[in-house]
Parts: sequence; C-alpha cells; structure tokens
Amino acid sequence: MAMITLLIVDDSPIARQILKKCLPKESNFTIIEAADGQEALEKYRQYRPEITFMDMTMPVMDGFQAIAEIKQIDPQAIIIAATADVQQKARQRIIELGALMHLAKPVNPKAVSDALAKAQQALQEQT
Amino acid sequence: MAEIQFSGVEKDILQELMNIGFGQAAADLAQVIDLSIELSVPDIQLFKACDLQEHIGTEVESDREFSLVEQYFLGKFKGIALLVFPAKAGKQLVSLFGLQGQATSPSERLELLEKEAMIEVGNILIGACVGKITELLNDVVIYSPPRVMIQNVRNSTLPKNLFEPSSMAISMKTVFHFEQQEISGQLFLIANQESITWLKSALHAFMEQYE
Repeated sequence: MAMITLLIVDDSPIARQILKKCLPKESNFTIIEAADGQEALEKYRQYRPEITFMDMTMPVMDGFQAIAEIKQIDPQAIIIAATADVQQKARQRIIELGALMHLAKPVNPKAVSDALAKAQQALQEQT
Repeated sequence: MAEIQFSGVEKDILQELMNIGFGQAAADLAQVIDLSIELSVPDIQLFKACDLQEHIGTEVESDREFSLVEQYFLGKFKGIALLVFPAKAGKQLVSLFGLQGQATSPSERLELLEKEAMIEVGNILIGACVGKITELLNDVVIYSPPRVMIQNVRNSTLPKNLFEPSSMAISMKTVFHFEQQEISGQLFLIANQESITWLKSALHAFMEQYE
C-alpha cells in the first residue's frame, strides 16, 4: 500500500497518542502532528497530507476555523473531526464546513479504521 | 500532610478525560435546551484544600454574586462539583427550559423556578461529566442531591469530612458559554487527596491500553 501522510491536530498530546495507537498497524503512514488550528494550517501547507484528523476545542485557533481555512487552501482536503464535542449542532457544523465525518472521543481502533477506509475511498474517488 | 505532585503527563491525561467528560455533558444538556454550548480547554490545578476560597476567587469575579450548584460525588473518585453561574443567569435558564410560563405567581415562585432550572443544569452537566470520567477510569460514583446557593463564591469552603484542610485537592475546571445567549458558567470538579492517589494510578491504567 502506498505511503499516506496523516496530519493529526489536537492540543492534547494524550489525544494524539491515543489516535496514533488506534491506527491500523499494517498500514503505512507518515504522521505529522499539530497542537492547534494555526499550526495545522502551517503543517497542511508544508506537507499536504492526504488525511487530516482534527480536534475542535483547541487554543489559538479552534478546529472549526481550521477546517474552514484548510478547505480554502484545498477544497478537496479530507478531514476527519475527532472531538469530544459530540453535540448534534457541532456535528452538523463540522459536516457543513466540509469535513468527511465526525469521530467521538475517546476514539477506538475500529472507529479509526472505519474512518480511514472511508477517507481512502474518498481519496480514490478524487483521482 | 505531604504534598502530592501531578506530572505533566498525568495532567494531560486528566485534561483529555475532562474534555471528553464535559463534551458528553454539553451534548446531553444541548439536547434538552436545543442550544449549542461552546466549550473551553479544561484547566487542571492542585491546591491545598484550605485554599479553596483563594483558588475559586482567582477564577471568578469575586465581588459579584453567583449562583452555585453544589453536588458531591462519592466513589474512588470522590469530591465535590461546583457549577458557578452569575446570579442573573437564573432567569435566563428558566427561559431556556421554557419554564417562564409557570411563573404566574409572586417572585418567590420565580426564585423557585430559577433554582429548579439551576438544579436541572447541574444534574445534567455534573452527572454526565463525572459519569463519563469515572466510566473511562472504571469507577462508579454515587451522587448527593444537588443544592443551589446564591452567594459570593469567596464564601465557599470544602466540607471537612471530605477535605482535611491541610490535604491536597485537585480542581478540574471548564468554562462554557451558551450559544446566542449571554450566559457563561464554570464547572469545577474538586477531588480530595484520597482520590488523587487513586486517580494517578487510574490515569496510568487508562493509558496502558494505548501504549
């Protein structure tokens, strides 16, 4: 399988660690990390990841703004929200901003694996 | 009594669990009032139990009156939850719950409705938040009935049966704001020293599944 670059955005190093541990072990990922939305934009421009996991509640720039700005940079960006904010309106807003889907924290291997499969399908449809 | 230290990693784990717990709590409350609740990044602090007033006083505008919902949680995770609203928020919460039509009688009636609205918010936020955190840490707690007090928060003290004054306590604070409303509040979960010792090992046990 070709190498896929993942950008994991979360202000919590623990949340980033949990997400990394939930990635399928057989897959081939290059992982880039960012601790807030602002850093995510910089890393996105620099690395152009295929898939971005985005937390919503973060200092400096929250995930809502970061998704909107990444979508400005790259309308085809594939973003999976991974957040503790499980309110219905937050979920709606995440999808309206153009994210592919929403994962509730704490994430687990099955949910991450399913999300990646969906993301990879979306990637294939783009090519 | 010896001071307990929390490592940076332990604080990070607890902050993430508080984030998840309060996210669940906000979702539960949002379903009831049909409003979005903006969340903040949780703040974790250790302090001496006898310094609670100073701790709370630095977190809120201490010269104002606040409505305070207080509820104990008792398990291996043991302590007190304090939900702090500006005193004027009571009327707005009554409106959010659609209770204002019931305030046909004198002002005592409205005051009662305000207290009921506060208790309902407290029940939902505290129960869901503490419940989610303890679920993730494999604990079960029981709750005391919530109580509402309108007072200067600086007058708050921790109950001596749970918090020996010279012992340490840990405070987990989240600030929240109701979308399209001028209502903000703060939720403090304050656990006692006995809990801190348990909490440290429970946090490491939680992370073991991801190591």
